[in-house]
Amino acid sequence: MVQLKQGQFMQAVGNAAEINELLRRYGVKFGIYKNGVFNEQFFPFDPIPRVITAEDFCSIEKGLVQRVNALNEFLYDIYHEKKIVHDGIVPEDFIYISKGYLAECEGITPKNRIYSHISGIDLVQAKDGEWYILEDNLRIPSGASYPLIARELTRIAAPNAFEENNIVDNRGYAELLKETMENANCGGIRAILTPGRYNAAYFEHSYLAELTGSVLVQNDELFVEDNILYHRTYSGGKTRIGVLYRRISDEYLDPLTFLPQSLIGIPNLMEAYRSGNVGIVNALGNGVADDKGIYYFVPKMIKYYLGEEPILKNAPTYLPFYEDDMKYVMDHLETLVIKDVAEAGGYGVVFGSDLSKEKLEEFRKTIIAEPRRFIAQEVIDFLDLPIVEGNETVMRKADLRAFVLSGEKTKVWASGLTRFSRNPDSFVVNSSQGGGFKDTWVLSR
Amino acid sequence: MGTISLEHSDRLYWLGRYTERFFTTLKALGRVYDSMLEEKKGYQDYLACFGLADTYSDSREFIRSFLFDDQNPNSAAFSLERAYDNGIVLREEISTDSLSFLQMAKDTLKRAEQSSNVRMSLLPLEDILYSFWGCINEHIYDDEIRNIIYIGKTIERLDMYIRLKYPFDAVEKEFVRLCKNLNRVPKGTPYRYSTKYLSELVEILGSESDYEKDGMKATQALCCLFETSEAAV
Repeated sequence: MVQLKQGQFMQAVGNAAEINELLRRYGVKFGIYKNGVFNEQFFPFDPIPRVITAEDFCSIEKGLVQRVNALNEFLYDIYHEKKIVHDGIVPEDFIYISKGYLAECEGITPKNRIYSHISGIDLVQAKDGEWYILEDNLRIPSGASYPLIARELTRIAAPNAFEENNIVDNRGYAELLKETMENANCGGIRAILTPGRYNAAYFEHSYLAELTGSVLVQNDELFVEDNILYHRTYSGGKTRIGVLYRRISDEYLDPLTFLPQSLIGIPNLMEAYRSGNVGIVNALGNGVADDKGIYYFVPKMIKYYLGEEPILKNAPTYLPFYEDDMKYVMDHLETLVIKDVAEAGGYGVVFGSDLSKEKLEEFRKTIIAEPRRFIAQEVIDFLDLPIVEGNETVMRKADLRAFVLSGEKTKVWASGLTRFSRNPDSFVVNSSQGGGFKDTWVLSR
Repeated sequence: MGTISLEHSDRLYWLGRYTERFFTTLKALGRVYDSMLEEKKGYQDYLACFGLADTYSDSREFIRSFLFDDQNPNSAAFSLERAYDNGIVLREEISTDSLSFLQMAKDTLKRAEQSSNVRMSLLPLEDILYSFWGCINEHIYDDEIRNIIYIGKTIERLDMYIRLKYPFDAVEKEFVRLCKNLNRVPKGTPYRYSTKYLSELVEILGSESDYEKDGMKATQALCCLFETSEAAV
């Protein structure tokens, strides 16, 4: 069992203060807005790694590749023939009213037919050792930079841990990302588009730009001319951009196509993209596939597109949209976790067990009134992981964000972001909600 | 480095300026601190260099404000924060390693504020800043881009030296250094000098007597050095 092996590594990586000091030095931060004020915080790192055995990783890897390949097929289908809808596998209600569906993307085929180049798939491991998919993030999943820099620094702080254990080196992420971007490149330089310093993930944008040798850009440095995207250089020249790894949501990307009030977009970017002159990583319109409502259908997609049985399981999920599921949800509301499909970052998640009788009734009415807005899931009693708190080790809930990169082949990064809750009573692990992170060690044997 | 925007070139220039302002302020305050061991109001000359009134009850209040108060635009802490603000958006140009020295400087300054021997606890900052510049030198491969940050650095140093009434030989050396940096800037780019203001600088800083007479005019010429109202050469 992995749990037992983790115990062996608990003391392996030295003290938390030392590594956190190094992380401070390297500016490993994330931004957070509270009451309209921007604050930059250090992302608390716990030195006890999550350990994944080679056998476990092998099965996770196969399952994730399968899942992401099916999701890419789904995205192509949805923006072209929509066979999966015509064949009655996914109801059209779940496509067209999804906020992530963009009619403007109809008929567009990105280079090499890849839509989700970088997929962040959240998993949890149950106490029986089984891994479950919690959600798919196919728009702009963030977080890879944190374990990447943490590994670099823990190798300095605790070299013995790496000498004595067979840990797969995770520092090839930048190379993997570079390959993925190059595969989507339509001719020109690589650029990473950031909304700017005050974005929550700015550290990641700038760090990945540095590691991949991409130019970090903001919208006012870019312009589209004759359907080609250019970077305006300081000496008055222009350089063509072939692939743009954008860290800005779809709706803000091009004010002439989407939100006209967007001040962080690039006018006519959509035209350059539609003409096949620039690759956009991840493609626009991916939100339709990582909608929490669509999550329910992913195992069906795998069977439909790939003709395979899903390797990784979804958490048991109910859609109040279906009559039978609605009945189940109404009967078991107090034991389920309800998620608002429009929310992200740990927001819009309600545990029935936390609600008073009155609130429960109130919530019941909201679900009946807006059945498409919610999904309900069984609460998975997922594995607690040890974390260091002061001088002692305590157990906390943790998940794993695995990164799957789709270039010439679909590859799973042998690492990931393990996030944990610092609150002993909480299942919510998001950094925006006070969570910390750990390194994820994949053992080579 | 493939391509750099006007915004980033501007950030590089100001990173150079603020990092140098922090460094020169620290060095100058070290000397003021030393002089205050015998002369309690030994900081007044320093204030006079910047045309500032003495609103401080004692030397302790002065030194706290000029070292640690990041709301005081003349303080070391303020300059360091501005250097960091510029550096943080240049990570892919200057490298995470270079940036880490600015973060270390911030942490060291913060710790020094709590120290019972402030001057002693500030000493590592000198090492950190020399390392920062070594790192910049190491990581910026493009000479043209690296030159922008050095232009910012030398302009700031010259400006500070003149205001702090440094001896002519120190100022002259920095001016020669600035001229070398300016001559590396290609024509038609934003940091190409204006001949008018460079000529003024040559006149003022060309001899000790002119420097002593018109030194402060040189700071104005430095401000206008990249003005584009006239054709840059």
